[in-house]
Amino acid sequence: MSLDQVQPPVGPATTATRIPRKRMSLWSLYTRRFVRNKPAVAGIVIFILLVLFSVVAPLIAKYDHVELDFLNLSSPPSAEHWFGTTSAGNDTFAQVAIGLQRSLMIAVSVSVGTTILSAIVGTAAAYFGGMIERGILLVIHFLMVIPTFLILALISNDAGGDWRVISLILILTGWFFPARVIWTMALPLRESEYVNAARYMGVPGMKIVMRHLIPNIGSLLVINFALGVVTAVMAETGLSFLGFGVKIPDVSLGSLIGYGANTITSAPWLFYFPAGALTLLTVSMALVADGLRDALDPTSAAGGQA
Amino acid sequence: MIKYLTRRLLGWLLMIVVATNVTYFLAWGFLDPRSNYVGRRPPLSPEEVTQLLEPRNLSDTVPLVERWWNWFSGILFRWDWGVSAVGESVNEQVAYRMWISAELVLGATIITAVLGIALGVYTASRQYKLADRVGQATSVVTMNINIVVAALGIVLLAIGFNDLVGARVFYVTGSHSRDVSGFFPVVLDALQHLTLPTLALVLVGYAQYHLLQRTLLLDNINADYVRTARAKGLTKQKAIRKHALRTSLIPVATQVAFTIPAIFTGAILTERIFGWNGMGRYFLDTIGDNDIHGVVAIAAFGAVLTAAGAILSDIAIVVLDPRVRVS
Repeated sequence: MSLDQVQPPVGPATTATRIPRKRMSLWSLYTRRFVRNKPAVAGIVIFILLVLFSVVAPLIAKYDHVELDFLNLSSPPSAEHWFGTTSAGNDTFAQVAIGLQRSLMIAVSVSVGTTILSAIVGTAAAYFGGMIERGILLVIHFLMVIPTFLILALISNDAGGDWRVISLILILTGWFFPARVIWTMALPLRESEYVNAARYMGVPGMKIVMRHLIPNIGSLLVINFALGVVTAVMAETGLSFLGFGVKIPDVSLGSLIGYGANTITSAPWLFYFPAGALTLLTVSMALVADGLRDALDPTSAAGGQA
Repeated sequence: MIKYLTRRLLGWLLMIVVATNVTYFLAWGFLDPRSNYVGRRPPLSPEEVTQLLEPRNLSDTVPLVERWWNWFSGILFRWDWGVSAVGESVNEQVAYRMWISAELVLGATIITAVLGIALGVYTASRQYKLADRVGQATSVVTMNINIVVAALGIVLLAIGFNDLVGARVFYVTGSHSRDVSGFFPVVLDALQHLTLPTLALVLVGYAQYHLLQRTLLLDNINADYVRTARAKGLTKQKAIRKHALRTSLIPVATQVAFTIPAIFTGAILTERIFGWNGMGRYFLDTIGDNDIHGVVAIAAFGAVLTAAGAILSDIAIVVLDPRVRVS
C-alpha cells in the first residue's frame, strides 16, 4: 500500500480551505457593509459636498458676507448675486457659506465633546457600580428635570453670541442623555472576562474604563457621534433662530433662517437657501448614522451577510 | 402598586422643588430686573428703581437669601409665584397661556403617537415590501427636517394655497380671531388656526414612533408566544394585534410619555413662527424682559411636564404589561 493512498482524497471541499485566504480586515468589512447601503453613501457624498461648499464658496464668492452692495437691496438670485441679497445688501451666497461653516463647526465640536464626556461618565458609572453608579444616575435624572433649553437661552443670551461659548454650553447640557444610553450598553461589559482579568491583575479602575470598556463600545460611540451632529445642528439653529445663539456680525444657518422668516413672502430666497442647506445637512448626517449602525452594530441584520 | 407610585411621586416632587430653586439662583446670576428701568424718560434714579422693585421682591439691595425666602414662602403658603419687574402676576400669565399651549401640544402629541404607531404596525407586517421601504425613507427624511424649516415651509405652502383659493382657509398667525362668536364658528376658527402648527409638529414628530414601533414589532412577531398563538389557530393579523402589539407598545408608550417636554420645546419654535401667545412666547418674553419670577415658573412648568411624562410611562407599563401586575 503506497503512501498516497492513505492520504485523504483531495476534493473541491478541502481545496477551498487550503487556499491561503486572507482574513478580511475589520475596516474593509465595515466599508463593504456601509457601501452596500445606498442611502448612506448618498448621505456621505452630500455631507462632503456641503463641507467643501462651506470651505470653497467663501473663496470664490464675489462678495464678502459682511460686505453691503447698495445697488442690490433685496434682489432675487441673479448672475451677480447667485443666491440674491438681503434688504441691507448682503450677498446671501456668501452668508449661507459662512453660516454653514459656523453651524458645522459648532455641530462637530459639540458632538465630539458630548461623545467623549458621555462615554467616560457612562462607562465609569457602569464599571464602578455601587455608590458611584447611583450618584451619577441621580445627577443625570436631576439634569433631565432642569429645562436645559432655558438654561441654554439664559447663558448664551448673556454670552453675546460667541460661538465657542455656545458650543461649550451645548456640550455641558447635551452629555447626560447619551451618557445614560452608554451606561446601559456598558453594563454587560462589567462582568466580562477580560475586564475581570484586568481587575485581578491590579489595573486601576479608571485605566480599565479607558483601555477596555470605551474601546469595546467604540462602534456605539461612532454612531452616537453622527447622531450628535444632527442634534447639535438642530439645537444651535433653534437657538440662533430665536436670537439666543450666534449673533450679528457672525451668522449661522439658524440666524439666517430667522432673518428669512421675516421676509418669507417678499423675499423667499432668503429662506430657501439656508433652509435647503440645513435640511441637506441634517438629513445627510442622519443617513450616514443609519449606515454606520448597519455597518458597525454586530447584532444588526440590516447589513446582510459579511 | 399604589405604594410604589406614591414613592415615585414623592421622589419626583423633591426633584421638581430642587430644580426650581436651582433655576431661581441661576436666573439671578444671568438676569437683572433693574435694567428694565434703564433709559426711561424721565430717567429714574437708582433709589426710585429700588423703591419700585422692593415690593415686588426683585431688588438686588435685599440679600439674595432673603429674596429667595420671600419668593419660596410665597409659593409654599399662598401659591403665589411672584410678579414681573413691571408688576404682572406670573400666576395669571401662566394660567392663561398654559391652555393656549396645551391646545396645540396635546392635539399634536395624540396625532403624532397614533399616526406613528399605526404606520409602524402597518409597515412591520409588510417588512421589505414597497410600502415599508417608502414609509421608512420618508420617515428618515421628515424626522431630520428642522422644525423651523418644516413650519416655515408649511407657511409658504399655506399662503400659496390661500392665494390659489382666493380665501383665507388657513391662518398663518395667531391662535384665535378676535371677533368670532357662537359655538361652531369658534370651533371652525380654532381649527383654521390650529391646522398649520399641528401639521408642523406632527410632520417632524411622527417618524420616531413609526421607526421604533416597526423595529419592536418585528422583534416580537417571531417570539415564541406569538408562534404559539398562531399554532392555536389565530390568523397572523389577529396574533399581531392581540399578542405582539401589546408587548411592543410598552417601550413606545414610555417614549411618548418622555417626549412631552421635548414637544413643548419644539412648540417654542412653532409658537414663535405662528405667532401663538402660549408658554413658548412667554419663555422668550421673560428672558428678554429680565422677568426672573416668570423664568422660574417656566422652569417649574417644564420640570412638572418631565415628571408627568415619567409617571405616565410608569402607569402605561402597569396597564400594558401583565408581568408587572402579577408581581
